[in-house]
Amino acid sequence: MAELLNTTDFRAALEDAIKGREAKNASFSKAWANGELSREHLARWAENHYHYVGPFADYLAYIYANAPDTATDAKDFLLQNMYEEEISDVRHTDLLIRFAEACGTTRERVMDIDNATAVTRAFQGWCYAVAFREHFAVATAALVVGLESQVPSIYRRQYPVLIERYGFTEEEAEFFDLHITSDEIHGERGYQIVLDHATTPELQQRCLQLVRHGADMRFAYTKALYDTYVAPDAPVADPEPALA
Amino acid sequence: MPRIRFETADREVTFPEGDEVNLLRVAIRHECGIPFRCASGNCGTDRVRVLHGADQLLPARRRERDRLGELYEQGYRLACQTYVAGDVTVAWDPDQREMEASGKVYDRLRQVWLAKDDTAGSPGSDG
Ligand code: FES
Repeated sequence: MAELLNTTDFRAALEDAIKGREAKNASFSKAWANGELSREHLARWAENHYHYVGPFADYLAYIYANAPDTATDAKDFLLQNMYEEEISDVRHTDLLIRFAEACGTTRERVMDIDNATAVTRAFQGWCYAVAFREHFAVATAALVVGLESQVPSIYRRQYPVLIERYGFTEEEAEFFDLHITSDEIHGERGYQIVLDHATTPELQQRCLQLVRHGADMRFAYTKALYDTYVAPDAPVADPEPALA
Repeated sequence: MPRIRFETADREVTFPEGDEVNLLRVAIRHECGIPFRCASGNCGTDRVRVLHGADQLLPARRRERDRLGELYEQGYRLACQTYVAGDVTVAWDPDQREMEASGKVYDRLRQVWLAKDDTAGSPGSDG
């Protein structure tokens, strides 16, 4: 029977739950950071990524509705996060589409979920299910700590390469620049909410489990992009059949 | 270990050698009280004056430079946009609010609320 962890130990356990599963180490991320992808590969990434991040405000809205009115700090954070995704400035998905268009694809292709892999569709479905069904602290752990808090470490590697090696302009790559910093803060606020509101051993353990699952999902989603779009073009044939 | 001194709060926080840490994230985690709102380089609520160690900060990217304008030349940074690599001391006005709106946010909201296909408030809606 697990015991209630103090704040320091629980935070360390949450950080540990991501370790070894970080999406920055997935094959597609590594190829990106090494400058090995083509604009076509990046276009396919955008066509998939839209279906993960596009509904992010929807996921957060489910969590918001599940949070009791006494959890004012959590509700305010979720609402602020939704507002920033959608209307505080340029809509974040529009920044993603701007990048996609610079890669040579179109808004229509990006928005058409038939252009996403099966793994991407499963990832989106997992996000919806967790947001809808889990305790708000657990869902925050899964989606904000497990997924969103990884973003700065991924994009801090990928953004400079986009400018320097792939030749995108700062404006075309603004989606990444914006998320490097905003998700630092979202991630930190997410940790605070989880630490404050997962107040039983059962909730803490469920948070840890769902952070692991979230990190696994993001890793699998990112790896599937490599398997589907890059491996078939790679000089050495991959002995594994590509995911479709 | 490198040390960030939050002068206004009279607090110091260390971080591991070799790391590059986001200034606002550290301030939030350790409850050092830098005011903030958007975390996106838009509002300017989290501007800080760098008293020492400006050379230990990673260079500002376009978003931050654009928002700060001439304050950037005067030694200000936006905490949410700033990564720290070594010893630094920062201060701020605890009552500071967002910088004068660039107009962008309100234009955007106006577009959303007054969009042609927005039926909110139109006859027949629940109001
Ligand atoms: S919090 Fe708004 S610019 Fe940093």
